[in-house]
Amino acid sequence: MNKIWAITKKELASYFKSPVAYIILIITIAVFNMFFFIIIDSNQEATLRDVFKVMEFLFVFIVPLLTMKTFAEEKASGTMEFLMTTPTKNTEIVLGKYLGSLIFFTLIIALTSMYYFIIEFFGTPDRATALVGYLGVWLEGAMFIAIGLLISSLTRSQIVAAICSYTVLFLLYFSMSFIQYTQGAAEAVVRYVSTLSHAENFAVGLITTADLTYYLSSILFCLILTRISIENRLWR
Amino acid sequence: MIRTERLTKYFGSTQALKSVSFEIQKGEIVGFLGRNGAGKTTLMRVLTSYLPASSGTVMIDGIDVLKHSLAVRQKIGYLPENPPLYPNMTVRDYIRFAAQLKDVPAKRICAQVDKVLNECYLRNVARKPISTLSKGYQQRVGIAQAIVNDPQILILDEPTNGLDPVQIQRIRELIKNLEEERTVIISTHILSEIEQIAQRVLIIKDGEIVADDTLNNLLCDDQGWRQSLEEVFLRLNQ
Repeated sequence: MNKIWAITKKELASYFKSPVAYIILIITIAVFNMFFFIIIDSNQEATLRDVFKVMEFLFVFIVPLLTMKTFAEEKASGTMEFLMTTPTKNTEIVLGKYLGSLIFFTLIIALTSMYYFIIEFFGTPDRATALVGYLGVWLEGAMFIAIGLLISSLTRSQIVAAICSYTVLFLLYFSMSFIQYTQGAAEAVVRYVSTLSHAENFAVGLITTADLTYYLSSILFCLILTRISIENRLWR
Repeated sequence: MIRTERLTKYFGSTQALKSVSFEIQKGEIVGFLGRNGAGKTTLMRVLTSYLPASSGTVMIDGIDVLKHSLAVRQKIGYLPENPPLYPNMTVRDYIRFAAQLKDVPAKRICAQVDKVLNECYLRNVARKPISTLSKGYQQRVGIAQAIVNDPQILILDEPTNGLDPVQIQRIRELIKNLEEERTVIISTHILSEIEQIAQRVLIIKDGEIVADDTLNNLLCDDQGWRQSLEEVFLRLNQ
């Protein structure tokens, strides 16, 4: 446990010791604020439903920037050899890195909690719905991070990691657009794989076991694959 | 302390190690000599459990590296060819991070970090980010992380690569000063370095051990004449 936390702290420090973290934070929050204003201004409703949808969409762009360096940078600079020759379990390395990215991501979400307080000041939003919405956005980000981590563990180039993560996240996010070309079992698969169909429920305040299973199992699946990937040095 | 038996390693179809067998006793300082690409780094990576061997066994202190790699890694301090450093971290933070990962008890971490900072003459740069240090200092930070948990075995891959003569001298002194009772393996292609530090030499050529003897025996030819290590090395590598 101590080692996981040591790696997490190192990851967080590496975010904040480079300008990347601040650029991501400032740009993300600025863009979110803009959309928040536009949505509230046009809907005139005390609900964050549409704000959550926009946030989910934008995380497709943001998360690969957070995760591309996690493993790729370590491999390119040779520090992976250091990590893997210390008496640290591969699971601890993967979890430490995952937590590092997840905490940074949670910070972004925490900064957007002001939206709730703003609409509460001017209206009477449903508190439970908003909380569930935040849970949905957070779960989706947590899944995107797990995918980004896995892809970063497969390559030693940050650019390759970023491009592949974008491709996978775009496919997951937009897979509903392809549903008209599929039938039967394929249609069910596409519908299940699409993050959009799961995120929508959370945005309107609905927690279902199927959606929770979808997010938690894909996070677990990606983390296990990441562990296998670094264990077998699949990037070589 | 270290025993390998018929160690082979394939990368695709190229064979990097060909049936390498040797034994190193506790407290020995052994030099791995060989040209670039001879297989020194691969052999070290196999010893540290970073790379699994294709066949053969490595026993460290009686423990099989493949089966109990975590236990083995606790006994080994390893400096890879390029010191594995995080440029944004300060020297002290990095050594502390290494100590945490290497199972140094939480109470002893501070004392241990101070100790290796002193041993490696890093006191005055402890608060500086690693990226601002010169190559010599970075190399010493690399050594500091390798010895932070007082490992019984120290494996150093070309520790003096790219340093100026004064820095090389300092690193040599540092290695010599490291506590006794410690087994040290050093790889290099700088022959004079081996002559000054090592007691025993393994010469590796194309993944095979072509000579394994004490330095004194190696430097005497068949008629008992003294020859230089350079002559021995060139002869074996022809």
